[in-house]
Amino acid sequence: MSATSSIGLSARGVTLVLGDGDQQITALNDVALSVSKGEYVAVVGPSGSGKSSLLAVCGGLRTPTKGQVEIGGVEITTLSESERTAVRRRKIGFVFQQSNLVASLSALDQLLLMVHVDGRSPTSADQDRARKLLDSVGLASRAARRPGQLSGGECQRIGIARALMNAPDVLLVDEPTSMLDHNRGRDIVKLLATQTKEHGVATLMVTHDASMLEWADRVLRMEDGRVLAAGGASAQAAQ
Amino acid sequence: MFLALRDLAFAKGRFALMATVILLVAFLMVLLSGLSSGLIERNVSGIKLMKATHIAFEFDDTPSYVNSFVDKEMWEAWAKVPGVNAMTPLGNATFNARNSDGTPLTITLWGIVPGTFMEPTVLTGAPFASDPRGIIISDELIQKGVEVGDVIRLDRVLTELKVIGTAPHANIGHIPIAYAPLPLWQEATYGPPGGPPPGDELPKVLFDYASVIALQVADAAGLKKADDEIGTVTLTREESFNASPAYREEVLTVFMIQGFMIIVSALVVGAFFAVWTIQRTPEIGLVKALGASTGYLIRDALAQALITLVSAIAVGGIAGYLMGRYIDSTGVAFKLEMDAITFTVGMLLAAGLMGAALSIRRIGGVDPIIALGAER
Repeated sequence: MSATSSIGLSARGVTLVLGDGDQQITALNDVALSVSKGEYVAVVGPSGSGKSSLLAVCGGLRTPTKGQVEIGGVEITTLSESERTAVRRRKIGFVFQQSNLVASLSALDQLLLMVHVDGRSPTSADQDRARKLLDSVGLASRAARRPGQLSGGECQRIGIARALMNAPDVLLVDEPTSMLDHNRGRDIVKLLATQTKEHGVATLMVTHDASMLEWADRVLRMEDGRVLAAGGASAQAAQ
Repeated sequence: MFLALRDLAFAKGRFALMATVILLVAFLMVLLSGLSSGLIERNVSGIKLMKATHIAFEFDDTPSYVNSFVDKEMWEAWAKVPGVNAMTPLGNATFNARNSDGTPLTITLWGIVPGTFMEPTVLTGAPFASDPRGIIISDELIQKGVEVGDVIRLDRVLTELKVIGTAPHANIGHIPIAYAPLPLWQEATYGPPGGPPPGDELPKVLFDYASVIALQVADAAGLKKADDEIGTVTLTREESFNASPAYREEVLTVFMIQGFMIIVSALVVGAFFAVWTIQRTPEIGLVKALGASTGYLIRDALAQALITLVSAIAVGGIAGYLMGRYIDSTGVAFKLEMDAITFTVGMLLAAGLMGAALSIRRIGGVDPIIALGAER
């Protein structure tokens, strides 16, 4: 697959077996999916269906037992640990649950951290980009505040801005609304959809909340490690 | 150091607590260093001033300036040993004494052959041995009220010594040294109380003995063979510090205290950073998941430890130095030596960093998967 392909994320025949002997669990079973740049795909399913394992494999946090995963044209399952770390740094943006901000960093520093972990000192262009991203999620005025001084929704917006800081090909979103009330959760999902289009990233969001699928371009349902269905958001929401 | 500096500012209470412990340890270490140097100075400053390279003691498993006993045959034999440029016998004996005004004193009398390399540098008064019954005293005795011109009488043997001059600060076993011509020392040490009866002379045999033999050696290759033949054991001047009374015990005690302080510091710093790293585990997993390498995080954490340790040691060290200057001025056994202080705080820093490094290495074991909610 070439780097100029419109596909941001693709997984083919991905199987993930965890544990040993009698304790083996097949967390992912021959999963195949692809997400185009600018596309917002939601994955729903009950607890234990394999949603988080799918994110872990797509994010290079776990190596699948079988299958291939490509991120921005790079096949990551054959890479070394340090090479996968570099892919996470440069090609993947993670949005975690609310608490996953660094407690000691201000909102602006949360974004600049992405530049530092890449081994660079932030330039004025990096500073400008960070401020613009904070502005785009409505938090320009909160740039100097730490997570403890911000609401749950604000923290999650910073998480989204941070995920976009290094201009990734893929956005992997883990239960972004689990710590938020319904209205704030809807705002976050809507923001994710807007940012996906605006930045042209391939976004894969896992959620247990079926009421958050309104803005997804496609919805995948998972059960027992398999992707069972794919289709338009409204159709899935109706199901 | 991006995370390191921000964590330090964010968790300043916790880091301040740990830094305070290190600061106090550094403070104590500087004072112990001064005490150690002071004890060494008080114990062996006389030996350090010697222009000898080696000292030959009577053969013994534990050579001692106090117990050694050598005779004329021995020092004459040493004069013929190849590689020995010069030799001279040295008498060492400690006496209780009284000054002219009755002030009690304790002095160590060193018997020196006039005109040899063992002659002391005279600071004030007449030259050494210009009076056959005259002594040159360490300036510490001046601080105790003795003056040039005073007559010091040794207890029991009743030998009278006339103070004719002063020499630089010289002690052995914490007792100030008075330099006497060797015959005077031999009379005081081996002669009858009060000296020979009027009109008589002391037996000549008394003048054939001393305590040790001071040597100036150009080539030490033949010393072992000479020792075996002559019946002596030869140490370098520095090795002979251990032959000074209580030197080994004092230095070992202080070094043991310093060693334990360094070990305690390493454990305190290690324990702090172990707890700190465990507390930060979710955050470390998160930053790894975002793409930080283990090396980046370890470098950052080590920088954090370095900043904390250097700051605490610098403040504690300076405070200890200032306190040491005050203590030094009070006249107790204390001496600030920059080399010793630098070595001490360097060891403290190295031990702290080692403790921190051992704790911080667990960063490598943190799995970034924990950043995902369902995987915690």
